[in-house]
Amino acid sequence: MARLAGKRALIVGAAGRDNMGQAIARRFLAEGAQVAVAGRRRDALDAFVAEAGGIAVDCDFTHKASIDAMVADTAQHLGGIDIAVNATGWGLLKPFLDTTPEELDAMVALQLRGPFHFLQALIPVMGGQGGGSIIQISSATSTIMFHDHDAYMATKAGTDHLVRSVANQFGERGIRINSISPGVTETPMTAEAAAVPGVMDAFVKGYPLGRYGTPQDVAAACVWLASDECFMTGENLQVNGGLTLRGNPTKADIEASVAAAVARQG
Amino acid sequence: MAGRLDGKVAVILGASNPQSMGAATARRFAAEGAHLILAARRAEAVAEVAAALGASAQACDIVQEDQLAALARTAIDRHGRLDIAVNYAGVESGGPLLETTADTFRQASEVHFVGTALFIKQMALAMGQGGSIITASSLTALVQSPGLSAYAASKAGADTLVRIAANELGERNIRVNSIAPGFTESAMTAGWFAMDAVKRAFLKEIPLGRFSTVEDIANAALWLASDEAFITGQVIDITAGQSLRRTPRAEEFV
Repeated sequence: MARLAGKRALIVGAAGRDNMGQAIARRFLAEGAQVAVAGRRRDALDAFVAEAGGIAVDCDFTHKASIDAMVADTAQHLGGIDIAVNATGWGLLKPFLDTTPEELDAMVALQLRGPFHFLQALIPVMGGQGGGSIIQISSATSTIMFHDHDAYMATKAGTDHLVRSVANQFGERGIRINSISPGVTETPMTAEAAAVPGVMDAFVKGYPLGRYGTPQDVAAACVWLASDECFMTGENLQVNGGLTLRGNPTKADIEASVAAAVARQG
Repeated sequence: MAGRLDGKVAVILGASNPQSMGAATARRFAAEGAHLILAARRAEAVAEVAAALGASAQACDIVQEDQLAALARTAIDRHGRLDIAVNYAGVESGGPLLETTADTFRQASEVHFVGTALFIKQMALAMGQGGSIITASSLTALVQSPGLSAYAASKAGADTLVRIAANELGERNIRVNSIAPGFTESAMTAGWFAMDAVKRAFLKEIPLGRFSTVEDIANAALWLASDEAFITGQVIDITAGQSLRRTPRAEEFV
């Protein structure tokens, strides 16, 4: 039986081919939801919708006016919004001392201000219709360490606490808000690094379950959080196979693993 | 219709009362196609719950390791496998720290901490390669509650145990998580729920505005038990947001 039958879902950050947002959209469609996918690249969204279904909505998640327009358009087209997922992100790797004001501003705009305005836009819509489920895709690195990732990690952690704060305030209107923290996941954001022999060997040691995550793992957790079966709010689900129990490799670990892979290949 | 646990074999310990989380979980798992072995100390009572679901029943006291081993063996003997093991065994213990006896601390530790450790150990041994182990934690392990030192601290100790077990057992593809229910109307809390002042004080601290039910807890157990949860070593918080606030003190029950 479809677990999201009759639900109206908005997923922002779904323009990248086979990224987390698209995996979530495909799963929601398979579970019977009506789906709106949003992002900056309209051509990519249109291509996805033509193949998978749903509707496409424009959004630049770094601008409040664009977020407001996306939420309003989606609510109008679908007749309301029961589920909203923020799967945007910018995986900047930059040493702390070299991170520029411009990079920090861009990161804050996407990963802290964007979610803040997204929640501001969604609360009146969902509150007015009796509730909903909002899902913020966070990161295991909002809890555990990773090298050269300070701007990313700090904004993800800030948004996790925002999720708790807003969940605390609007639960009584039937709105549940939670984060999901994946670990390293095979997505377009990580594809370049993952293609280097040895890199993923270093990461997988941090996973008690012996493999790193997939977009489909995240999508499955989204179905649970989005469904009426989930009586949970203000939480950060660690959908990362136990990574937080061990931790990410250090930069030196990764370099050693790459060197070993190169040596193996002779 | 395909069930979400079709073909899975599950053991549920602490299912003797029809109003319990264990019985609700058993009903949900059965509806999703799992084969069930229900267990509790009270053999006759758990047999009644099991009979209504076409499940088998077995007496088991969580503090007796040989009984846990026998319970796991029943799953293997009867169905050839064990995929899911859920533990709800618990003992109520309350009172100010200064008045709590050594026996009370020992009993809470024995059931919640030692018992949970042995449960995880024996179920994992029977599972071999792959499975999901779920144990009941508590809101009180997340937000420290005056008057519940023995109960809450022994539950919190078990949560640390869950993290270590998850780290060790991941290599066998066994996931280990706990569920922290909020203030839930169940067999164990019926006395508290009979008092309106208690309900009022708690309700003020629950963002989602209603108490969790045994069905809410069963739904969370279903997600953790299914193949859809790439998660291990976690406390799954089903407190409806109460962990963002606090647990009311006894003097607020007016």
